[in-house]
Amino acid sequence: MTVGTSADTAAAVLTHIVRSIVDDPEQVTVETTDDGDRVRLDVRVGPGDLGRVIGRRGRTAASIRTVTRAAASKDGVEVDIEFLDD
Amino acid sequence: MEWVETTGKTIEEATEQALDRLGVDVDEVDIEVLEEPKNGLFGKTRGEARIRARVKPAEVRPKVDRRRGRDRKAPRSNEAKPADDNAQQEKSGASERSAGGRSRSGGRSQDRRPPREERSGDPVDPALVGEAAVSFMEGLTSAFGFEATVELQRDDTDLEVTVNGAELGLMVGHGGRTLVAIQDLVRVAAQRRLGDHDTHLRVDIAKYRERRRASLEAFAKQIAERVKESGRPVAVDPMSSADRKVLHDVLAEIDGVSSRSEGEDPDRRVLVSPE
Repeated sequence: MTVGTSADTAAAVLTHIVRSIVDDPEQVTVETTDDGDRVRLDVRVGPGDLGRVIGRRGRTAASIRTVTRAAASKDGVEVDIEFLDD
Repeated sequence: MEWVETTGKTIEEATEQALDRLGVDVDEVDIEVLEEPKNGLFGKTRGEARIRARVKPAEVRPKVDRRRGRDRKAPRSNEAKPADDNAQQEKSGASERSAGGRSRSGGRSQDRRPPREERSGDPVDPALVGEAAVSFMEGLTSAFGFEATVELQRDDTDLEVTVNGAELGLMVGHGGRTLVAIQDLVRVAAQRRLGDHDTHLRVDIAKYRERRRASLEAFAKQIAERVKESGRPVAVDPMSSADRKVLHDVLAEIDGVSSRSEGEDPDRRVLVSPE
């Protein structure tokens, strides 16, 4: 996780959530890319953990996005969140 | 976990009734079709659909298992069929009809899953699930940068995590939507990760649910008065299944009115009628 970007709260919240639901928290990284007034957050998880993060019919991923966007509003930015398998 | 039995003109309708009674979303329940609706001549309904439903025990399989999950999916959904089909054929006596009913997709029925015989492992101590939920919520509030107290109330397998502090509105969100998402994630982090199947876990933030419930109760009483005075049914605005459940619960206690839900989510609403 990159420090010092404009989406600190969102990145911290996203990292906490994903580490809390995967089997292998050590493998979780959140990469922040500043792109003007939008910030992209790329989440990478260890092998086999992507399913847990996405959830049935994408429900968990949708919940993660909802909560992370709420956090981003505290940072005053819009965020796009991508989940990636390593 | 308790089963509720409901009926309706269609399986979807019966399912909606069950969801209201249970106060949860469709992907949180196990549904079994007890009886397919029987069609009479000219589209008249001769027999109602009957289903039973229960709140799905939270699901988890060990990681090794999860990887095999994909290959097993097809055989697994087939496994439940024989018993189901037999039951239907006995009742309807028409195998093509039950086949037709089964192929119905796109509706709620596709969410039907086999009863979970394959639960693995020992029951998880509810206290551990509670601890995991509290530590998840503490981490979350501090990641948000809020000072808050996180408390756990436990009554056997009923767990409620309450979060209180200043400025928590952001974690509740418009219409409680962020709160619902947070509750979802607490369940994943605490129940599913630990392999817990038995606890009921709820989250309240800044007393949102408590207040929402109180205002819904007052609202339900108002509507009941209106219906009794006018003798005419009233349809209220669409609301979530959890909110509808509160209305149904309150209205069930009031003499002279009855309530049911109609329509499809997100426009599903409670209809209050004179009795």
